[in-house]
Amino acid sequence: MKKRERVLTTLALEEPDRVPLTEIDIDLPLMEAITGQDFPVATSLQTQVVADPALERRRIDLKIDCYTHVDFDVLTVDLSAPAYWTPTINPDGTMIDLWGRVLRLDKASMAWVPYTTIFTAPEDFERFDFPDPHAAGWTFSVEHAKHVIGDDMALATFIRDPFAHAWEMFTPTNFVIWMYQRPAFISRVMDQLTAFNVEIIKRLAEVGVDLIISGGDYSEEKGPMVPITFFKKVIFPCLKKQVAAANRSGIKFIKHSDGNILPLLPDLADIVDGLHSLDPSAGVDIGAVKANYGDKLILMGNVSVDNLAKNSKAAVVEETKQCIRVASPGGGHILTSSNSWAAGAKLENCLAMVHTTKKYGVYPIRL
Amino acid sequence: MFFLSLFLPPFFPDRRRAPDLTPIFINRQHPHTTTQEYEPKMLEDIKTLILDMADADDLKTAVDATLKAGVDPLALIDLLTQTLEEVGHKYERGEFFLSELIMAGYLANEVATLVKPHLGQTTRTTRGTVAIGTVHGDIHDIGKNIVIMMLEASGYEVRDLGVDVSNDRFVAAVKDGKPDVLGISALLTSTMQHVKGVLDALETSGLRHTVKVIVGGRPITPAFAEEIGADGYAEDSVKALHVINTLVTQRRHQP
Repeated sequence: MKKRERVLTTLALEEPDRVPLTEIDIDLPLMEAITGQDFPVATSLQTQVVADPALERRRIDLKIDCYTHVDFDVLTVDLSAPAYWTPTINPDGTMIDLWGRVLRLDKASMAWVPYTTIFTAPEDFERFDFPDPHAAGWTFSVEHAKHVIGDDMALATFIRDPFAHAWEMFTPTNFVIWMYQRPAFISRVMDQLTAFNVEIIKRLAEVGVDLIISGGDYSEEKGPMVPITFFKKVIFPCLKKQVAAANRSGIKFIKHSDGNILPLLPDLADIVDGLHSLDPSAGVDIGAVKANYGDKLILMGNVSVDNLAKNSKAAVVEETKQCIRVASPGGGHILTSSNSWAAGAKLENCLAMVHTTKKYGVYPIRL
Repeated sequence: MFFLSLFLPPFFPDRRRAPDLTPIFINRQHPHTTTQEYEPKMLEDIKTLILDMADADDLKTAVDATLKAGVDPLALIDLLTQTLEEVGHKYERGEFFLSELIMAGYLANEVATLVKPHLGQTTRTTRGTVAIGTVHGDIHDIGKNIVIMMLEASGYEVRDLGVDVSNDRFVAAVKDGKPDVLGISALLTSTMQHVKGVLDALETSGLRHTVKVIVGGRPITPAFAEEIGADGYAEDSVKALHVINTLVTQRRHQP
């Protein structure tokens, strides 16, 4: 099978020739190590930080080259910045992004990470120039990627979940305070972010993406970050609108979340097409999820990112085999790590994950 | 009687209603009723307001009324400590979500801010001093910030060193601020080794024995903490508060 066919078969919850492989992202230092190419500026999977189209094209080319080198089946690409945007760099070196987040540069991963915010009160949001989903440029990266890979690899686009987006836009503390003290405001922001995503999804459908992955965590190690009543009243209705928009265009919708999502699984299984991460460090057993929801959910996971950084190559091989053993039979499983290939991960462990999947992930699974 | 109109956020219709604070008003209307008689109820009501994630303005009104009624400000600080301990237990048992942990910390902080100016005439103004920061090369701070909120609400004086803190800045913070406890946080596997670097730098500068060190963050384990010679380890903000309480007590009893 060709890569895209392998993936589309998996997305249809059927067995392809082999378990497909990908990562939702690879930190820049590892991409540079894999490809032997340098990239001159820092990037971010959480937001748009590259304004120059030539650099943006080079960023996507580097990712395509990296994913081709590793022989992944799915290329994951995030949105570009709209054409009208130029970054604001503060005197202290922080950057204000399109969403009012103040970012600091994490030199280890060469990534911009949300640090604080321009929003000190809900009233600040009323004066905020909310990004226009119809502006030119948002799908520049995706269009370029589709143009380069054609129908070889499957194409996934990474968008930001409205809850995680608002959580980061306002900072966790502000979000929580306003969630309890100004609930109507938080609901309105979530609705606005959802409407933005729905319009973006329509544009992605026109480009021809195969899969949308919604980034941003719902849970931390102990469980959901906010009460389940808030999920049911605010977060899930927003999620349903985005899934419906994707499904209307025949695009599958996968929700990513680190942490312990087990209390949310019954609801999520009725809303999304699949789940990414299935975080083993938070006690999520991909085998148990497969047994209970394998007939309706595509599973992406879950070789521990901690183990990619700390464990031996032999241990990663065993963990990958175990992951295939419990999650791959019957199809519907894309093998990934439990988050992304972070800068601290050992490259030989990452590649061992790939080689093991190619060796033992051939259907029918015989592990 | 506007207290009775206290509302709870509509997201949580199943929560019990906010407490009836009528006794505070009875106290005003009947001057012969003593503060002593109503103090336990006033404190209990403030605790309930925090646990119920009440409106911050309503909480402030209740605290003001309690202080005006002559309740010892230290009793309020002790109440915050007890309340946050209960919040921590609820979080650990899965009865509270992270948002409730953060919100309770915020509300407790609001109360502490109101009470602080009234502590001037008392002998005890702080439970201890803590300096805390994220190691060099790491700019993650959500967990650290929650720890700071919990510590401040519990009566600690905290110096936030921020993120991407160099070994020299950690050492300077110990040398200049003389904190009881130094908190070192790292979120990335690639930066956790820098935690040991801070301890080494403290040792080299001859300051290690002057401060208790607690370490934490996603990749940090108890074994790692022990290996590098930290005095304490905490996996979350609740445990951090508990461990720091213990470390401060130990330090006070050191010869």
